[in-house]
Parts: sequence; structure tokens; C-alpha cells
Amino acid sequence: MTEPQASSGHHAPAGASYATRLARNRLGLWLFVVSDAFVFVGLFIARMVLLGPNRPELLQGLGLAVTAMLLVSSFFMNRAEVEMAHGNRPAFLRNIMVTLVLGTIFLVGVVGVEWQLAPFGPSDGAEGAVFYSMTGFHAFHVFTGLILLFVVWNNGRRGLYTAEQHWGVEAAAIYWHFIDVVWMFFYVGLYLMGTPA
Amino acid sequence: MRFFSTGLFRGLVAQVAGSVVGMAFVMAARVLMGEPAWSREPVIVGGMIIGALAFLVGVGSFNDWFKWARGKQVSDEITVDPNKPSWMRYFSVDYDHKVIGIQYGVVSMLLLLFGGTFAMFFRTELATAGIDFLNNEIFKVLLGYEPGPVGLLSGGAMMPNPEHFFNSLMSLHGIVMIAGILLGVGAMSNYLVPMLIGANDMAFPRLNSFAFWVNVPGALILLSSLLFGGFDTGWVGYPPLALRAPLGMQMFLFGVYLIGISSIAGAINVIVTILTMRAKGMTMMKMPIFAWAALATAVLQFSATQLIGLTFQLVMLERLLGMPFFDATAGGDPILYQHLFWFYSHPAVYVFILPGLGIISELLPVFARKPLYGYKWVAFSSFGIALISFFVWAHHMFVSGMSPYLRIPFMYSTLLVAVPTGVKFFSWAGTLWQGKIKLATPMLFVLGSIIIFLLGGVTGPPAATISTDLHIHDTYFVVGHFHDTMFGGFIFPIIAAIYYWFPKMTGRMYSERLGKWHFWLMFPAFMLLSNGMLLLGLQGMRRRVVAYDADLGFGPLHVALTIAGFVIFFSMILFAINIIRSARKGPEAKDNVWDSRSPEWQIASPAPLHNYAQPFEVVGEPYDYGLQNSPYVNMTPAGGSATASH
Amino acid sequence: MIHLVIVAFLVVASTIGVGLFLTNYPLLPLQASEQAVNIDGLFDIHWWFIAFFFSLITVFVVYSVIVFRRKPGERGDGVYMHGNTRLEIVWTIVPIAIVLWLAVIGADSLATVERRDPEAITVDVFAAQWNWRFQYSVEVEGGTVAAVVSDTLVLPKNQQVLLRLHSDDVIHSFYVPEFRVKQDVLPGGEEFTRELRITPNLEGTFKVRCAEICGQLHWDMQAEIQVVDRSEFLSWLQEQAGDCELSPEECGQRWATQFGCLACHSLDGTVVIGPSWQGLYGSSEELSDGSTITVDDAYLHESIVDPNAKIVQGFSAGVMPQTFAGILTEEQIQQIIAFIASLQ
Ligand code: HEA
Ligand code: HEA
Ligand code: HEC
Ligand code: CUA
Ligand SMILES: [Cu+2]
Repeated sequence: MTEPQASSGHHAPAGASYATRLARNRLGLWLFVVSDAFVFVGLFIARMVLLGPNRPELLQGLGLAVTAMLLVSSFFMNRAEVEMAHGNRPAFLRNIMVTLVLGTIFLVGVVGVEWQLAPFGPSDGAEGAVFYSMTGFHAFHVFTGLILLFVVWNNGRRGLYTAEQHWGVEAAAIYWHFIDVVWMFFYVGLYLMGTPA
Repeated sequence: MRFFSTGLFRGLVAQVAGSVVGMAFVMAARVLMGEPAWSREPVIVGGMIIGALAFLVGVGSFNDWFKWARGKQVSDEITVDPNKPSWMRYFSVDYDHKVIGIQYGVVSMLLLLFGGTFAMFFRTELATAGIDFLNNEIFKVLLGYEPGPVGLLSGGAMMPNPEHFFNSLMSLHGIVMIAGILLGVGAMSNYLVPMLIGANDMAFPRLNSFAFWVNVPGALILLSSLLFGGFDTGWVGYPPLALRAPLGMQMFLFGVYLIGISSIAGAINVIVTILTMRAKGMTMMKMPIFAWAALATAVLQFSATQLIGLTFQLVMLERLLGMPFFDATAGGDPILYQHLFWFYSHPAVYVFILPGLGIISELLPVFARKPLYGYKWVAFSSFGIALISFFVWAHHMFVSGMSPYLRIPFMYSTLLVAVPTGVKFFSWAGTLWQGKIKLATPMLFVLGSIIIFLLGGVTGPPAATISTDLHIHDTYFVVGHFHDTMFGGFIFPIIAAIYYWFPKMTGRMYSERLGKWHFWLMFPAFMLLSNGMLLLGLQGMRRRVVAYDADLGFGPLHVALTIAGFVIFFSMILFAINIIRSARKGPEAKDNVWDSRSPEWQIASPAPLHNYAQPFEVVGEPYDYGLQNSPYVNMTPAGGSATASH
Repeated sequence: MIHLVIVAFLVVASTIGVGLFLTNYPLLPLQASEQAVNIDGLFDIHWWFIAFFFSLITVFVVYSVIVFRRKPGERGDGVYMHGNTRLEIVWTIVPIAIVLWLAVIGADSLATVERRDPEAITVDVFAAQWNWRFQYSVEVEGGTVAAVVSDTLVLPKNQQVLLRLHSDDVIHSFYVPEFRVKQDVLPGGEEFTRELRITPNLEGTFKVRCAEICGQLHWDMQAEIQVVDRSEFLSWLQEQAGDCELSPEECGQRWATQFGCLACHSLDGTVVIGPSWQGLYGSSEELSDGSTITVDDAYLHESIVDPNAKIVQGFSAGVMPQTFAGILTEEQIQQIIAFIASLQ
């Protein structure tokens, strides 16, 4: 919901400079990230209150695998951004494509596999509620992140970013890292903490 | 008809179409999953969600973002089509912060009108001890038929009975008024902040317009609750009752959720605007005081609001999919809901008032012709209030059955809020002292605000000490407390603000005579209303009841409250008449009507499209009234540079 | 300076006036518990602070408006002054001290109000949409414990009672204005059972009223409380503890009253919330699925233990509590059925 497109001061005589707008966009995006973090904190609190020292019975292997995918994808996202900053467009496109693929695998892993294999449904007690809501809210963010990545990839393909001006890439990267960090906490909360009920 | 080419009309059509598509979509999904296609709640909720999205697409909020996603350049320039009448700007997506501010304001007033009308209905009912007004007769008048099993929308019962109708009206009154407040806050920060700090627009105009338009489907969905059986939980929507309430509950949850999105987006915009777009020379300590209030408000809004959004989604999910978050019999925890809810809704009450207190601080110096007493303290006290308000939420839960030992720290933190609030009051008194007070209508409302908000404030501590709250909680004492705080902290100040900036918005003057009538009707009537509520509450009158035992002796007071309520409503009608008539026929206003030092009064009235043709420079203190030759702003700095901001 | 003296005088006068009014006018209802004595004392302290701060600000504002008001034709600005740091510090520190002190005495008062008396008698309170039920455990001769269920809360005077609050459905709140205390009643079983301690100190009849909105009949969710002399209380309890030795119909009526059935079912043909029981037995009824049944013992039994199994046309499922199966004994159910059958 941030405004990745530089877009302000539009009726000031000469318009604000790119640097000014970039600073504003950055601040705006970071505020959004902080704001969004409250949702996840809220979910985590709900998990602590409802499950306490227990945790849902999940497929440890699968959890580890998708988590690794997401972590690695964040690495490639970082690479993509750095390549763009160096003006290396093909490398940027390659890296962001890898990020996209890994992100998609993560999404399929959670929603397509774990959701189907979990031994409980959303309405089966607090475990179901907690597990499906935490993964669901996160998956929705991953999904929007993937759309954003795709848009950025597509615009990058058309050469809309330069080494100096690539706020879109940076925004997608910040958002993607944020999603990744959130998952690290959720992974601990869902897979590692406490004992299976 | 020109109206049919406005964004609003397209949005409404899209919303209807989207709702139908959404319903069909859910039904198709259900069939695929091997379930019967029709199930009232999921299908209608699906339609409602898609409909809201469709509204935003239809109105054009996403246009530029879609273009951007397709790699097209989007223009930053505001283009005003000279062939279109200017009113049309207000019914379409427009990026001018002044237009958006007024859009917010109008919708806010409409919501207040709805909320007020609901109040008139249930207040009439409360005038008598029994259930004498909201009976089946009134249903026949209102709905055209007697309630009974009817209809697709209502699925069995429109409003099954008088008690439920009362509960729904009362709950809607609460939440619609609060929605009205949130939009009113948006109106003030959007219209005022850029002008006060010398910017020509907000930092993210697209986001700004999106933040306004998302309220429209939000408000429509919220109000439509009444058509789907209403909801009888009060505005707090505590489960498990909220899980059993009629379908209207979902409209409440989702409508508030949309309005919450608006709060978040708007708040981010305000923060970035204030932090990065101030005029040259305007340090934080030289900002007009309202900007401080808006900043503190935005900090509360952009963070805490997320939790109510989350919580309401969890309730929606629990109702739709049976995910037991809050139902204790299935593993959930009803207290968890209350914690999450109040973690937002307590800070939210300061969202309601901080801008209003900012207006008071902004207007007092102008009418007292004196500097704002203790500027720095007033500015920081807004942040003090905001900060403390994150740690007091559980004072609404002293009797809820949460862990008993937790109550003590919350009592301490709650009482501490009195301190920064007190600082404001003392500063206001200091500002008035030895002034040359002009009693124009805006000033009357400012003075009214101070007294009323004071009354609301000092009734806070008895609610904050636990053992007295054991008696007060869920009685009319609390109702009196918060009507005082909300009228004193929002309703009166926004009325003052509208009178005060009316010439800047329209270029015309309102009628002083009607304005005075408005005040002298509303202020005493409100004093009666709120003090009566406080007294009834102490005597044990519970909240949210449609009838009460006649032998408790509450009758005469309730009659008086109802009359007072009607007087307030009537005076607000005078207000509406005043501003609607004056906007069209009022005498033309001077540029600087109030002899204010503030930059927005140094430009033409009404404010031109691009506020400041040339960036100005701050050369003095904002409120140095009484000091000769000490301008605040230099509107034509020599060699004025081309950047609007730094 | 003279202004300040006048204002100071007015503030004092107004504080005393408002304070005396607030502490002497009967703002609060009858005081009928020991907790109320303590709480009312705390209220009085609050009234004085409210009187003072309200007077302080109001007098300053009103005085300024009257005295420093711009006279017609007057020009120019007010006195130029920016503030006074020392004053600002004072009016920050003093309120901090006051609120901290208020919090300390508040915590103290809470401790007194919630003081536990080991002798307290225990009553289980069951709240359900929209009635109250009170259950006492009594030792009858021979050491067996019998449960006494009543729709009236009978309490001995000057003895602490520990109320254990249970809800069958949604959140309710136990509130007796004369006792000054309230506590929400949560659904969800033992884990969510909450306690409330009251020591009534005045004989008389009061009402417990539900203070948390709980749906349609929230306003009418009330029950009677009788505070009686201790010996009277004990004999009442013994009387209730005796088995129901009346005829089955009469016992059924007793249960129907005590368990709150009559809050929803009338005996005279009017529809309150559920169908009336008058003439119910033996009649034939249409159900919401369109079928028709004849009301007999088996149907009534099912309607009581599993109300959602068959829904009478024109009524909604889920309104009648589904918990009676666990509350009523088989004998009691049979007696209620006998009672319904007698209502021809
Ligand atoms: C609009 C805003 C608003 C504001 C500003 C406030 C301000 C305060 N509120 Fe209020 N409150 C509400 C809106 C607001 N409230 C609403 C809507 C509810 C009910 C929700 C519901 O259940 O539906 C509620 C309910 C509520 C409760 C729960 C009551 C209950 O349900 O049992 C409590 C309890 O602590 C409380 C306390 C306070 C306190 C201590 C302040 C303080 O901020 C007040 C501080 C101000 C002063 C104290 C006056 C000025 C100060 C001085 C002159 C200095 C010296 C004073 C002293 C030393 C005392 N409020
Ligand atoms: C801003 C908030 C606000 C406002 C203004 C009001 C205004 C009024 N309220 Fe409010 N009320 C609440 C917020 C508000 N209320 C909340 C949050 C609750 C709690 C709900 C709950 O328990 O869940 C509540 C509950 C509540 C109760 C308790 C109900 C109960 O517990 O059973 C009562 C009872 O008398 C009451 C009465 C009134 C009355 C008579 C007015 C009158 O003052 C109304 C007069 C009308 C207006 C002030 C608006 C008029 C506007 C116009 C005419 C438009 C003007 C148009 C232009 C300028 C273009 N309200
Ligand atoms: C909160 C309201 C409420 C309470 C309390 C309540 N009922 Fe009901 N009852 C209803 C409603 C509503 C219906 C109709 C819906 C249905 O058929 O389940 C009903 C239906 C019935 C019926 C079937 C009536 C018919 O016409 O077929 C019987 C028998 C009955 N209740 C017995 C009882 C008994 C016995 C108790 C107490 C131990 C009781 N009810 C308490 C609301 C209530
Ligand atoms: Cu039970 Cu309200
Ligand atoms: Cu609060």
C-alpha cells in the first residue's frame, strides 16, 4: 500500500528532486513495514495465549525445507538489488527470477502441501485456528510480495530501472526481506517452540 | 446528468456488480468443494469483500498504480479540467489535499447525522421505563411491514424484535459516530497539515486519495448492517456474543476494517509529510501546534490500528470457518479478544481527541491575542499522551476476569495520563490569562470544548481506580465520561475548526448570528445530557439496556436527557443550515479574517489550487501575538529558491 | 496581581461548594455491603479532587473570559508572555504526586475490597441467556452434600460470600449496585470461572442485574437477592435441601422456576421467548422443517436435553440453552414433563 512510484511535490514549481522523493518513499515504506509488523506481533501473541507451551504437530522436514527456501530467496533478492545498483540488468533479472521461483515454492509448500497434510483443520481447536491464521496471513503477504516481484521483474525487463533510479527494486526488496524476517519468528513459533500437543 | 460520469457513481455501480460477482464466486467455490451453493453468511460476506474492492477499482483509486505496474509513466501534475464544474472534483478521485480534506469532512458529517439519528430513536425509547416506542408499530412505519420471517437478505428475521432493534441501533450509534470521528480527524489533518507547514500537498497524494475513498465502501457496508439483522453487541463486539449475532455483525467487522485501512494509510502520509515537507526555516519547534497534534495522532493510528484490523478479521474467520480463537468452549479465549481490541481502541480514543486539542491550542492564541502559553510543553504533552496511551488499555477490563494482579499496573499507567493532559489545560488557562479575548463563534466552541473536555477528563480517574470502577463500569457513568471527552475533544473542536477555516475553504463568511444560536443551544443541552448520564450511572443505571425498572426513579432524568439530545440534534441542524447556506450565499470573506499569523491566512481565500505560489520562509515564532514587528512567515523571501521543501 | 488573589479566592470557594455538594448529595444508591463502605470512601476522595481541578480550570477560564474580554472598540493584543518553565514544572510534578497517591490508595482500597475471609460461604452462580441460577452445597444429616438450586440469591447478613461465577453461553456480568461491585461471568468451564466476594451488611431485597450486554433480553436479565439474618438463612437452606416431597407436578413447577425455564416459557399461552407451555402436551405442532409432530413425553424429553434437535416453527435454534442435560437430573426432567403435561 505504499507508493513505490516517486510522486510528490507535483505542483511545486520544479517538482521535488528524485533524491527528495526517494527519501520520502523510503520513510513511507518503513513506516508501513513497522505498521504491518503489528499484525504479526498480534498473531504471535494470540499463538502464545492460545497454545502456550504447546505447538501444533507439523511436518518438521517440510517446515525446514520451506523456511530454507524463503531464506535463500532473500539472499537472491539482495543480489538482485545490488546488481541493479551496479547497473547489471541481466544479472538483476536472473536473481529476481530465482527469488520469484523460490518464493512460489515456499507458497506451494505451505498452502499446497502443509495445509493439506496437517492432521487438523482450521476449526479443530486452538491449534487449527493458530496454525492456519498465522500461515494464512503470512502466505497472503508472500502472495502480494510475489506480485510485486513480478511487476518489478517485468518493469526491469523493459528497462525502467537504472543504477541511479530503481526505487521499485528497493521497495520490493525491503518488503520481501520483511516477509522473510516475519517467517523466521513464525517458524520458531509454529515448529520449534514448546512440545507437540 | 453529470453525476453519472463521476468516479463516485462508477464506484457504486462497480460495488453492486462486484458484490454479485463475489457472491457467485463463493457459490461456485462451494459447489466445487461439494457443498450446497447457498449458505447465507459466506456468500454474502464474499460478495461484500469483492464489492468493496470493485468500488475502489471503479472509482479510480487504483488507476495510477495499475499504470505503474504496467510500466507506464504516471503524471504528478494535478490537472483540473476547466470544462467540468468544480463540484465534480469532490465526487471523483482527486489528489488535491484540500479537496480530499473536504471529502473526508462531508462524509464525516454524514456519518454524524446517521449516528445522531440513531441516537434520537433509541433516546426516545429510553425516555420511558418500559418498551414503548421501538415496538412493532414503529417497525411498520419504518420498514413498511411487521417484522417476521422474510427475505433473502435477512434470512429469517430482519429485526426480530424491539430489544434487538434497540441493541442494534445503540451499537451502530456508537460505531458510526466513531467512524465519523475518524473521518473528521482525516478531514482536519488532510486539509490543514500541508497548508500549515507550507507544503502544496501531502507526500503521497495517490495514497491519500485511496485512504479517503476506501472509507466510502467502508461506511456503506457498516450502515448496511441494519439491513442484515444488525448486531447487538455494542460497539466493542465482544465474542462469544459476536459469534452468535446476526449477519449484520460481519458488516460491522468488515466496515470498520476498511475504515481502519484508511486510518493507517492516512497516518503514514501525515507522518512523512510533516517530517519531510516543512517550509524553509520551520523547525519542529516552530511548527503550528496542530501539526504536533496531527503527528502524535498519526503515530497512534499507523501502529495500533493494525491490531483492530487483525482482531476483526479473526472474528470474521471464526464466524465463517469456525476457527476457535475466542470461543472458550472450543479452545479459544474471550479475554484475548478484549486485550487485542482495547490495545487499539484505547489509543484510538486519543486519536479522537488529540487533533481536537490541537485545534484548541491553535485557536486560543488567535482569539486571546497572546502567545500560546508553554508551546514546548503543549507540543510534547501530545506525545506524552500518545506514548502512555499504549500502556493503559486494560483499564477497560478491570472486571473482565483477566489476571487480577495485572490490574494494578494498569491503574497506575492510566492515572498517569492525567498529567500530560493537565499540562494542556494549565497552558490553555495561561494563554487566556490577561489576553484580549474575542468571542467569535469559533472561540465560543473552543471555550466550550475546554469545559466539557475537562469534565470528561476528571471523570476518568474514578474509572481508573479499580475499586471505584467495580461500581462504575458498564453504567451510564462511563457513557457520560466518554460523551464528555468525545464532545469536548472532538465534536466541539471540529465545529470550531469548521467555523474558523470556513472562509478559507469557501471564500465566504458564515452567519455569526446562527453560529451563536448554535452554541448557546448546544452547550447547555450537552451539559445537561452528560451530567445527567454521569448521575444516572452513579445511581446504578446500566448501559445498553432498552428498558429499566420504573421503580428505580430514573424516569424524570431520562426524559430530560432525551429532550437535551433533541436540542443538540436541532442545534446541529442549524449548523448544517448555516454552512450550507453561507457556502453559497454568504458575504465574501477577507483573506485574513482572524488576523492570524499562520501562513494559510496570508494567502487568498478561498485557498488557491496550489496553496503557495512561492515557497515561504519561517522567520519567527508562530504565536508571537502582542510582539510588534515579529512576523512568523516571510511570504516572499528574496531569491526564493525553487524547492518547495528541503 | 489583584486578579490572581480574586481568582484564588474563587477557586477555593468553588472547590468547597462543589466538593460539599458532591460528597453530600446522595449520588450513590443504598450502601448494603462492607465493600461498599470502603468504595464509597474512595469515591469521596475522588469527589474532592474533581471539585478542585474542575474549579481551578473553570474559574480561570470563566474569569478570563469575563474580565479580559475585548471591550467594544478596543484594539491591540494581549500581554506578551511565553510561559514560565518553573510553573510548568510545578504543574507537572504536583499532578504526578496526586495521581500516584490516588493509585496507592486505590490499590489499598482494592486489597480491602477483595480481602478473603476463610469463613466465607460459597455459592455457585450460573448465568445463561437470560437468567441467573444459584447453587448452594449443603451438608444434610448424615454428611452427604446436597445441591440446592434457587432462582433467588439468599445471603446471610454480615458474612462474606464467595460467588463462583459460571456462564453457559456468552459473557454476562454480575452487578448489584447496592453492593457496588461487579464481575464479568465468562463461558468456558472451570478455567474461566471467576470469583467475587461480597459481605452484605444490610438486610433487604436487592436485585442482581446483568451488566454486560448479552443479547436480546440483556436488559431483563435480573434476579432477586434477599439478605437475611444468619439463622433465617440457615433454615431456608435446610428447607431447600430437603428432597422435593411434593407431587411430581409440583416438583416440576419448582424446578421450572428454579432453573429459569419460566423466564422464556409462559404458562398462560403468551410467547415470551420460547413457546408457551400452556396446552402444549398432547397438541400437534409444526416444526421449522415443515413436518408436524405430536407432543409426547419422548419429544419433550428431547426438547429439553437437546433443544436444537427439533425446532418449533417460528422460533430460532440456539436460543434455548443446550446445557440442561448436564444440569437436570433424570428425575427432575421427568417431573418437569409431568408439570408441562398438567398444564392443559
Ligand atoms: C475520546 C476520548 C477519551 C478520552 C480523552 C478519555 C480519557 C480518559 N479516560 Fe476514558 N473512555 C473513553 C474515551 C475517552 N477517555 C471511551 C469511549 C470509553 C468507553 C469505552 C466503552 O466501554 O464503550 C472510556 C472508558 C474509560 C475507562 C473504562 C471505564 C469502564 O468501562 O469501566 C476508564 C478507566 O480507567 C477511562 C479512563 C480515562 C482516563 C483516566 C482518561 C484521561 O486521559 C483523562 C485525563 C484528563 C484529566 C484528568 C483532566 C485534566 C487534568 C488536570 C486538570 C490535571 C490534574 C488532574 C488530576 C491530578 C486528576 N476511560
Ligand atoms: C462522537 C461520538 C458520539 C456522539 C457525537 C454521540 C452523541 C449522542 N449520544 Fe452517544 N454514544 C457514543 C458516541 C457518541 N454519541 C458511543 C461510542 C456510545 C457507546 C455505544 C455502545 O455502548 O456500544 C454511545 C452510547 C450512547 C448512549 C448509551 C446507550 C446505551 O448504553 O444503551 C446514549 C444514551 O443516551 C447516547 C446518547 C447520545 C445522544 C443523545 C447524542 C446526541 O448528542 C446526538 C446529537 C446529534 C449529533 C451530535 C449529530 C448531528 C449531526 C448533524 C445533524 C449533521 C450536521 C451536518 C453538517 C454540518 C453538514 N449515546
Ligand atoms: C433462553 C430461553 C429459554 C430457556 C431458559 C428455556 N427455553 Fe425451552 N425453548 C426456548 C425456545 C426459543 C424454544 C423453541 C425452539 C426450539 O424448539 O428449540 C424452546 C423450546 C422448548 C420446548 C419445546 C416446546 C415446543 O413447543 O415444542 C420445551 C419442552 C422446552 N423448551 C423446555 C424447556 C425447559 C424444561 C427449560 C428449563 C429447564 C427451558 N425450556 C428453558 C427457549 C428457552
Ligand atoms: Cu447477561 Cu447481559
Ligand atoms: Cu481507555
